[in-house]
Amino acid sequence: MAKFYPGTTKVAQNRSNFMDPDYNLEKLREVSDEGVVNILGHRAPGEEYPSAHPPLEEMDEPDDPIRELVEPLDGAKAGDRVRYIQFTDSMYFAPAHPFVRSRSYVCRFRGADAGTLSGRQILETRERDLEKYSKELLETEWFDPARSGIRGKTVHGHSLRLDENGMMFDMLRRLMLNKDTGVVEAVKNQIGDELDEPVPLGEPLDEETLKNKTTIYRKDGEAYRDDKDAVEICQRIHVLRSQGGFYPE
Amino acid sequence: MDIEIFPHRLLNTDTAERLLNDLDGLKGIKRMVIQGPRLSQEESPEHRTMILKGEEVTIQVKPGRILMEIDSEEVIEEIREKCEENLPFGYNIHVGRFIRKQKTVSDTLKYGEKLEEVSEEMVGLTDQNAQLSERAKVLKRKKEE
Repeated sequence: MAKFYPGTTKVAQNRSNFMDPDYNLEKLREVSDEGVVNILGHRAPGEEYPSAHPPLEEMDEPDDPIRELVEPLDGAKAGDRVRYIQFTDSMYFAPAHPFVRSRSYVCRFRGADAGTLSGRQILETRERDLEKYSKELLETEWFDPARSGIRGKTVHGHSLRLDENGMMFDMLRRLMLNKDTGVVEAVKNQIGDELDEPVPLGEPLDEETLKNKTTIYRKDGEAYRDDKDAVEICQRIHVLRSQGGFYPE
Repeated sequence: MDIEIFPHRLLNTDTAERLLNDLDGLKGIKRMVIQGPRLSQEESPEHRTMILKGEEVTIQVKPGRILMEIDSEEVIEEIREKCEENLPFGYNIHVGRFIRKQKTVSDTLKYGEKLEEVSEEMVGLTDQNAQLSERAKVLKRKKEE
């Protein structure tokens, strides 16, 4: 069996689970297809996919053995535009974080391009594939409505203290906790445009579940230094990289 | 001396209002600054106004820290009591120097000859880059009996 991440702690195991494409991530909530399209905000629900080029079948492409080997994505076949979804993950025990997302995206999502920054993480691919992947990202363990945010812009908040109700700070207030139902609702799409109907995203996970599911090493959770195995591998990589780069005359 | 109340969560307007009104009852607090991440200019569902000393104050930021200038160390214990009541999720109180006390060269450049008209009490209370009127509201202190 492939080893995806070193370490013996729960955090290391969770990281491996995300990266292992054969591992089935637990589904925690239902988000409607229409809801996903609304949150992404790239097209109206029910609207045809706008295209960037004609379908591949109609295009006269040059002969190329690679084109024969690689099956194009559905979106590429149809000539969809490339669109994105971007997440911000709180440092307070969010289930995922940017580097884990990127590593896992390339393991799990074919034809998707991942971009990592310290506080946010973007996934780019053809529109109809993006919607499929986004649904998975929102419904499964990747996402917690309180500690993760879908933020196309104004992403600030991952390293701030949480709000009193446990939600991550969001200047544009896209996700709101409904006090009456206890459910988090998306009231704006990812770039902050008001939605006609709020999209329910389920209840926030409790602190204990989050600490169990998190992929973030923290001193008040599981500290990285305590994970001897992970530290050893990390140091080994550093040493080998230095020695490999050292070239005495 | 200055202290900083650092709650472990960013405060709701209601909690901040309760805490500030409670603190207002204490003697020995000279000035206070609310600091935190800026709220969006758009209308937000969370109400942005607080009633302090009976006056309505619009806040520009989400209360994250409360900086205060106090008379003496004894006040800290009283402040701690008020914090216990209002901040159940935890807080820290740090002693240090948090509010600027002197007028600076930047102030001279900003206010020119009128610098002298800026009262000592206002120094250090606002964001350097903002208009004074945008970020500060003067609440009159009740006359001492």
